[in-house]
Amino acid sequence: MSEIAVVAGGRAAWRDAPDTRRVLQLALAGLWLLDALLQYQPMMFSRAFGQSLAATADGNPGFIARPITWDATLIQQHAVALNVVFATIQLLLGLGIAFRPTVRLALAASVAWAVGVWWFGEGLGGVLTGTASPVTGAPGAAILYALLAVLLWPARAVDTRAARSLWLVLWLGLAWLALQPANRAPWALHDTLAGMENGGPGRMAALERDAATLIGGHGLAVSIVLAAAFTLVAVGVYLPRPAAVTTLVLAIAIAGVIWAVGEKFGMILAGGATDPNSGPLLALLALAYWPARTAPGEAGRP
Amino acid sequence: MPPALILDAFAAVMLAVAAVSAARLAAARPWRRGETVADIDIAHLLMAIAMNGMLTGSLRTIPVVAWESALSVLLAWLVFRAARDVRASGLRTLPAVHLVHGAAMLYMFLAAAQPSRYPALAYAFALILAGYAVWDLDRLSAGRPSAVTAGCRTAMGVTMAFMLIVMA
Repeated sequence: MSEIAVVAGGRAAWRDAPDTRRVLQLALAGLWLLDALLQYQPMMFSRAFGQSLAATADGNPGFIARPITWDATLIQQHAVALNVVFATIQLLLGLGIAFRPTVRLALAASVAWAVGVWWFGEGLGGVLTGTASPVTGAPGAAILYALLAVLLWPARAVDTRAARSLWLVLWLGLAWLALQPANRAPWALHDTLAGMENGGPGRMAALERDAATLIGGHGLAVSIVLAAAFTLVAVGVYLPRPAAVTTLVLAIAIAGVIWAVGEKFGMILAGGATDPNSGPLLALLALAYWPARTAPGEAGRP
Repeated sequence: MPPALILDAFAAVMLAVAAVSAARLAAARPWRRGETVADIDIAHLLMAIAMNGMLTGSLRTIPVVAWESALSVLLAWLVFRAARDVRASGLRTLPAVHLVHGAAMLYMFLAAAQPSRYPALAYAFALILAGYAVWDLDRLSAGRPSAVTAGCRTAMGVTMAFMLIVMA
């Protein structure tokens, strides 16, 4: 088993950066900044934003759904004022992580904010509804922001064992979601992708259409393949370095496919997106788990 | 468009950038022989004033056509400067970012006249500018570049990215 670079404080082999953790922190800061800018879009200042949040309550247990409905109603009533606050908080999180003296404060605040958004804005990513699909963004982008903030904490918030456990839980969770009845039904994935054709440039719609046609009624087979790939990625961080690297590359490739096909690049070009969805975050997470470079003379040590 | 409060806040930031850039230009005393003026301060001053006019109608200065011409000249100068830097010291990030600033500014004026032209380009510009703003802020807080210039560049990058996404 190899050491994880950002957790161990070492250098990842993928880059000769002086501080891998800092580079990944800056990527996280960039994503928060992008979220803030998307949150400033004109549509977010209308009642439509609150209505889209209210929709995430559907299918959730009552104790999860009721606060979402309350929150969404409040946002619809005070759409402008609250959205100014939301967007500005995210702007400050992005700038705060990028600015070295405030990185700890901003990372800590980002965990609290991300967990709040995961519940009140994403309905826990739909993981309790039985219909959430990893292909379309489950378990929700917000919780991945929180996970990244914990992993990239400047002073090792978690040890290697805990970090690996979090990775295992995340990817086994994705495998479990892929095999849920709503996702493994023969035409489920086809219908999901076909339903995403509208919105965005024509080439993206063509990509969705082609992917839906390719999958057709083979939803069960695709779900099994996805679950197997997710499981392989999940256990990959426990393998020796070369195998771990291979599974992390696989994780990045899966994240890319999910982002392009299932998430339509976060629907950013279609307008109305508040974040780039889970694809870029899964890829960033994979980079955060990149094994540390073995120092000369360490090879072969127990 | 977003509420006036947000547009005014970004306009205030751009006014501050314009004021700082003007102060730096005055401090450089260009009227004295042998003094050099930082062209980037001129670029920041021009772009900050132009963005102010776009963000708040009451701060409009010259007609759009005049801005398009001025920004075209500025972009041509930044292209020349970047090419000269590449020849002298190879490919570097900073001149390229100034180039992106200039191109994004011109794009915004052209897109304002003809909405929905190449929205993907607006997002591409916004991503580059936001990414570099984050990088700049990190370097600034590590005490590497000139804090004033990097601060102005960060503020301009974030404001420009905001405007591009709102316009897209």
